[in-house]
Amino acid sequence: MLGKISGYIIYYMSLVVILSLSFVLAYSSTDRGFQVGVAAVTTFFYVLWGILHHLLNHDLDTKIVIEYVLIGAFGLTIIFFLLSASGNY
Amino acid sequence: MEEMKKIKKIKKFLSHLFIPKESNNHRAKILHHGNLLLTIVFLLLASFFIQTVKEKYSAVLGIRADISADQLLSLTNKERQSIGVGSLVLNDKLSAAAYAKAQDMFTYNYWAHNSPAGKTPWVFIKAAGYSYVYAGENLARGFTTAEDVVRAWMASPDHRANMLSSNYRDVGFAIQIGNLNGEETVLIVEELGNLNAPFARSIKTQEVQKVQGTQKVQGTQEVQEAKIPEEAPKDVVAVPKNIQAVHNKPFINVLALSSNIYFIFIVVFIFAFTLDMIIIRKKKVMRFVGHNVDHILYLLLVLILISIWGKGMII
Repeated sequence: MLGKISGYIIYYMSLVVILSLSFVLAYSSTDRGFQVGVAAVTTFFYVLWGILHHLLNHDLDTKIVIEYVLIGAFGLTIIFFLLSASGNY
Repeated sequence: MEEMKKIKKIKKFLSHLFIPKESNNHRAKILHHGNLLLTIVFLLLASFFIQTVKEKYSAVLGIRADISADQLLSLTNKERQSIGVGSLVLNDKLSAAAYAKAQDMFTYNYWAHNSPAGKTPWVFIKAAGYSYVYAGENLARGFTTAEDVVRAWMASPDHRANMLSSNYRDVGFAIQIGNLNGEETVLIVEELGNLNAPFARSIKTQEVQKVQGTQKVQGTQEVQEAKIPEEAPKDVVAVPKNIQAVHNKPFINVLALSSNIYFIFIVVFIFAFTLDMIIIRKKKVMRFVGHNVDHILYLLLVLILISIWGKGMII
């Protein structure tokens, strides 16, 4: 039980680190191409991390993979088109 | 009675959409794959529609901007006066240099202090006939008001230093709408300078140039050996009047519209994932779905990024 909880903590901490790191990288740069690249790489890691976590939990399913991919696509769509609309991309 | 029925129907629909229960297979309906895909398709179509209308009917849907050199000068001087530094004076040559710089950025499609061909800001300033002792440059883009531009510059230590430096006495602005990377944007170029020769004598051994990198440039400045102009250069560049202000007031501001649409969608999904997570934990239902916390964290990052990127940029 304790191992499971610590596993959860490590997983979520690492996810928070990845997301925070990408925020710092994206925020510190003024290059839109780089920022969109960071967003894309972060999305990739978010999907990968989710899949790995479910794989380790032995509850990975195709539906779960699709769910992560769809959420990632949703986030990227928003980022890309907002930058286009703002004229800042 | 009819109204009560309608309200009941709406309540049932919203409950089906957001609350995990048997009718939606214990997963809020809005979070089902089909609805996620539908949302993405809707956002894509909405974005293309907005872009198309923006290109064809810019008076209806366009970039709202109300920025003038007078406003920028007044706000800058207000900041300078608050710390006891003398006011800047609008200089036609520096405005011409700012205009040339803006034109260069639009023509060669870049957004930086130094052009891809290696042209520094000083090239434009000198070409405009301004033989400076001190010179500096601040750039901004994508802002809608002069207040926002000055606020952003003041929040950045290097831009702030440029704006408030007692080394500068003159300033020139160019505010222009144009296309960068195929997208319409408002560019603001601020060139600062000083012709003060006597001060320069004390530093005449120095040739300091602080062009700070390429992409991470935070305002840039140069100190140059004094060159006392015996007389004002005769080839003064004429400053087109329309570069001193942009008053673009489309019926709908495309940036506000897009930001609001995206903001609402993200908040709705964060809310749905949170509610779904709380209810399922209470009910202790077993199901095979992704971790809601993952999705919430990721969407929060997207929310933060779009709220930052949706605004203007400075370098």
